[in-house]
Amino acid sequence: MEDSGEDGLTKSLFKRLRRRPELGAVVAFAVLFLIFSGLSPRFATLNNLSGVLTLTAELGIMTIGISFLMIAGEFDLSVSSVYAMGGFLYVILVNALDFPLGAIIAFVLAISFGAVIGFINGMITLRAGIPSFITTLGMLMFLRGLLVGITGGSSVVITEDSIINEVLTDYFFLKFRPSHLWFLGIIVLFTIILTKTTYGNHVLATGGNKKVARTMGVNVEWVKIKNFMASGMLAAFAGTIAINRFSLANAAFGQQMELEAIASAVIGGTLMTGGYGTVIGAAFGASIMGMVRSGLVLVGAPSYWYQAFVGAILIIAATINLKLSGLKS
Amino acid sequence: MANNGSQPLVEMEGICKDFGPVHALEGVDIEISENEVVGLLGDNGAGKSTLINIISGVFPPTKGEYLFRGEEVDFSTPREARERGIETVHQESSLVETMSIARNFFLGKEPTTDFGPFSFLDHGEMNKESRRVISEIGVKMRSPDEFVNILSGGERQAIAIGRAMYYGADLLILDEPLRALSIREQRTVLDHIREAQSQGATIIFITHNVHHVYPVAGRFIMLDNGKKLGALEKEDVEDPEDIAEVIAQGKMEATR
Repeated sequence: MEDSGEDGLTKSLFKRLRRRPELGAVVAFAVLFLIFSGLSPRFATLNNLSGVLTLTAELGIMTIGISFLMIAGEFDLSVSSVYAMGGFLYVILVNALDFPLGAIIAFVLAISFGAVIGFINGMITLRAGIPSFITTLGMLMFLRGLLVGITGGSSVVITEDSIINEVLTDYFFLKFRPSHLWFLGIIVLFTIILTKTTYGNHVLATGGNKKVARTMGVNVEWVKIKNFMASGMLAAFAGTIAINRFSLANAAFGQQMELEAIASAVIGGTLMTGGYGTVIGAAFGASIMGMVRSGLVLVGAPSYWYQAFVGAILIIAATINLKLSGLKS
Repeated sequence: MANNGSQPLVEMEGICKDFGPVHALEGVDIEISENEVVGLLGDNGAGKSTLINIISGVFPPTKGEYLFRGEEVDFSTPREARERGIETVHQESSLVETMSIARNFFLGKEPTTDFGPFSFLDHGEMNKESRRVISEIGVKMRSPDEFVNILSGGERQAIAIGRAMYYGADLLILDEPLRALSIREQRTVLDHIREAQSQGATIIFITHNVHHVYPVAGRFIMLDNGKKLGALEKEDVEDPEDIAEVIAQGKMEATR
């Protein structure tokens, strides 16, 4: 009875929308977009929006990694340190490997670093049996401390432009950067993995109820480890993009970005309890962050309002999303 | 039915399982014949769950022999057991609540279509087949896209049993299938169990409540404290309360 009559149409449409975790984020995005456009004539301009998209892409790539992991029922607070470490590692390597393919090797190693940290996060969480919240909080602090210790707090600078710079972040058309396309590509790729593959089914099951998933033959430990690795890789990827855009960074690079990414994931409809969420929702969550940051500046609000505003959105969004989903937390 | 001369489906001898210093099972012998319904009874902590976890491949025994269809098996994952036709339906958690009915139905056995080197879920097939099977079972649902959390406990059990039969389960392990169900739903689930037996499945029905399993089982195996207390054929039981008495006493002599 999927094709219910016309009178049931509104009802079934609502039912369908209820099953879209990203619904809240899409509506909030549209409303905020209209409000900021109305308040500031400079908001809805190509210049500003492409700038918003640049911030959104970097945050959003990280957010997709976190969401994908949260859907499998685990958590990653270490992303901002992986972002920073991955970026620093890239800069140090690209400066050292002064030959044509050097930048590509530096890039691959930086992303691999993220995968290795993700693997370690996963192994510790599963083997020690401690919550991933604790494992990755420890990793967040450990890596940040290590970074400050190794660099002595000094900045790193990319000394020469490379192919990676062009592939990741140099303007290629008007005010658009390749990172915008990478963001889109990652949205599409992870949406396909989550919704259209066997692996995606296993991710949803692992986060939804790992006991059932295990009984049905899903290797839940491997699913979790792979998703920890995806989270680490995407965080390192985001860090590499950002550091290529700035060309330099200090030891505070990306600090507290993990909170923005988690807020984005939750605003985007990912449930903290696992098993429920979408990639497109995570992307919209990150877009809201980018948009609010720029919008508040343009309407002349002092920058501290950004935090307050995002905090309020986070709580409201989490409440509405849970109600909409019809699931108990 | 136990001694009809044919080879037993499951034979276990001297099964022990230790969790650190805890002896969950201490030398349990069990034989289950083709197509019988066996009630596996015992109080909390008797070792029922440990035993079914071994049969269904969640973990191997510490010691002992486990033969399935006369062949020694050494499962270390439920996937291996499922490949042999052993399907398990756990109490209250046989389906993932946050997933659609269709996704649940094919969990772990997803049909795919290939596209070049990639393979994708065949959502069309998943929806069509799960809709067909579930309507045959007699569970009403609007759409296989619906989440499982809108279904009642009895509907979930029915779907889980139907799913196991769809995969051609030779051995169906039911862990407290009637727990927390209304009387009417208990009856429906019992009908599904009889139906599964008539389709040729062998069924192990785990419960601590003898009244749950009494209507369908032909034989009862009682566990206590990690040991087998004994087994009773249904025709030797005058009153289900006798079985409850055996469990309560923790010894078999009570009925003899």
